Amino acid sequence: MKQADLQLRISRSAMLRYVLALTSFGAALGLALLMQRFNFHTVELPLLLFAVAITAWYAGPGPTVVTLVLSIAFFDFFFTEPRYTFEVNSSDVPYFVVFVGFTLLTAWFSAVRRRVEEDLRRTRDHLQSEVVQRTEQASLLDLTHDSIFVRDMDFHITYWNQGAQELYGWKAEDAVGKLSHQLLQTVFPVPLDDLRSELLRSGRWEGELRRTKADGTQLVVASRWSVRRGEHGRPVAILETSNDITYRKRREEEVQSLNQQLAKRSADLEAINKELEAFAYSVSHDLRAPLRHMAGYTELLQKRITTALDEKSRRYVAMMLDSAKRMGTLIDDLLTFSRIGRAETQKTAVSLGQLVKEALSEVRQEAEGRDIAWKIGPLPDCYADRSMLRVAFVNLLSNAVKFTRTRPHAEIEIGSADGKRSDVVVFVRDNGVGFDMKYVNKLFGVFQRLHQSDTFEGTGIGLATVQRIIHRHGGEVWAEGSVDKGATFYFTAPRA
Amino acid sequence: METTDKLGRILMVEDDAKDVELTLTALEEYNLANEVVVVRDGEEALDYLYSRGDFKMRAEGNPAVMLLDLKLPKVNGLEVLKQIKSDDKLKVIPVVVLTSSKEEKDMVASYKLGVNAYVVKPVDFHEFVNAIKELGVFWAVINEPPPGSLKK
Repeated sequence: MKQADLQLRISRSAMLRYVLALTSFGAALGLALLMQRFNFHTVELPLLLFAVAITAWYAGPGPTVVTLVLSIAFFDFFFTEPRYTFEVNSSDVPYFVVFVGFTLLTAWFSAVRRRVEEDLRRTRDHLQSEVVQRTEQASLLDLTHDSIFVRDMDFHITYWNQGAQELYGWKAEDAVGKLSHQLLQTVFPVPLDDLRSELLRSGRWEGELRRTKADGTQLVVASRWSVRRGEHGRPVAILETSNDITYRKRREEEVQSLNQQLAKRSADLEAINKELEAFAYSVSHDLRAPLRHMAGYTELLQKRITTALDEKSRRYVAMMLDSAKRMGTLIDDLLTFSRIGRAETQKTAVSLGQLVKEALSEVRQEAEGRDIAWKIGPLPDCYADRSMLRVAFVNLLSNAVKFTRTRPHAEIEIGSADGKRSDVVVFVRDNGVGFDMKYVNKLFGVFQRLHQSDTFEGTGIGLATVQRIIHRHGGEVWAEGSVDKGATFYFTAPRA
Repeated sequence: METTDKLGRILMVEDDAKDVELTLTALEEYNLANEVVVVRDGEEALDYLYSRGDFKMRAEGNPAVMLLDLKLPKVNGLEVLKQIKSDDKLKVIPVVVLTSSKEEKDMVASYKLGVNAYVVKPVDFHEFVNAIKELGVFWAVINEPPPGSLKK
């Protein structure tokens, strides 16, 4: 380490290299001269060659040339005849050749060594960066929550990431080397051989697998396999990523079972609806017939014996007829109410203005002989079931006519205003007997009536029908009023 | 009545005896009751129209109008109507459905099968009598029945 450090410092500084050259030359010369004084001859050449070699080995070409030149010069000066002159004889030439040859040889060795060193360093650096990169990749793979593991073609696990450890509960050291489907007790949706041939053919496979964790709990994973190929496309490993879909799977199964329940419910509901329809049909047909007969025979009876009856008896007969008629109306209203709950709505663009005109002509008979000022404002088009909305209008207008009966001059206003979103608010206002806001909640209930039936006749189904119609259109219905000050009924409907 | 010779025969298909009685009472006021042939279910109605069974010996010719109830034993009104309107000889007979049912689906089905009129029997007797009278007078007196119809 220290030597390497010194080498590095020497190779970096030119001055240090020259100092090294001069020092080694000086030391060799001094030693040679000292030896000579003690009559040790022939050691000067090896000493100077050693100095040149050291310089060539460590200090590079420039200092080597300096040491070489100095060594040759002072060798000639001190150690060859004639001594102490720089004169050159032919007998000196072999020495010079030895010096130059030795220097070149050393320099060549040094160059080779440097090159080898350089190669080694480069390889080491490369390896180091490779190691860093691989470590990073491995830690990235560990970062993902998906489980990733690699198997050889015999399904022995060779790599096992953190996600796999978290998912299956096995540590990498427990998993690596094991057969994956034995470790995880995998249940394949297809035979393993089929899976393997599919994998080899297309290079990938995807599917859902049932597996068992280290702690014995079962789980379902969505699994993707791909084959890694080596040289010549030979498959060498299988990479599998998988994530836990147990929760999702359970939800899916729940949704499926809920759907089945729902299908059963709606089948039940449909059956009940059919029954209800049959019931309503039966009511419509079978209940009205005896009623008609009661009314018919009572009338015939009345015709035959009317002269023989006293005032009271005539009234009784009249009451019987009245009751039969009332029950007929009740049945009709109930049927309408039930039909509106059952029937499919067939929505189209409906002109409210036109609809109000039609409704008016239907209540005209009830309004006959009355002084009613009709005030009809501009009405927009709605998106609604025409016949249903018509029933709603007839009910509201008929109510307005009925409850203004005690007024010598009745006023009934029909108008519209803008509602929330794209709704339109329609109102029907009258100056009739009104109602106490205390009872506003009872207004729209079936069979709920706020007046005695001999004051204002009715079945108590009309406003319930209106509410059901409006609700079936996704609208709202409400009312305002006070006793003897009239009433206003509002409903919203989607604008066309 | 002046128009007596023009009166056509009325075929009434009705299973309810009381309805039959009330209807006939209503028609009596216009002296139309004698023109009415009453059958009590769909099968009898078809027997009459095809002159078979009990009606093998009846005079030839179609009724001037047929009053048809929908809810009938054996063969219901809509089935009778379907049979009549799909038979070339019978389809000319004017058919009036006279029923208690106000159900829209019955009404739609009847019109689709080609019924000539659809009348809901009113609960109120006055209205009932008026309806029957008007029907009887219109179809048996005012309306010119198709050729080959039975006259008195």
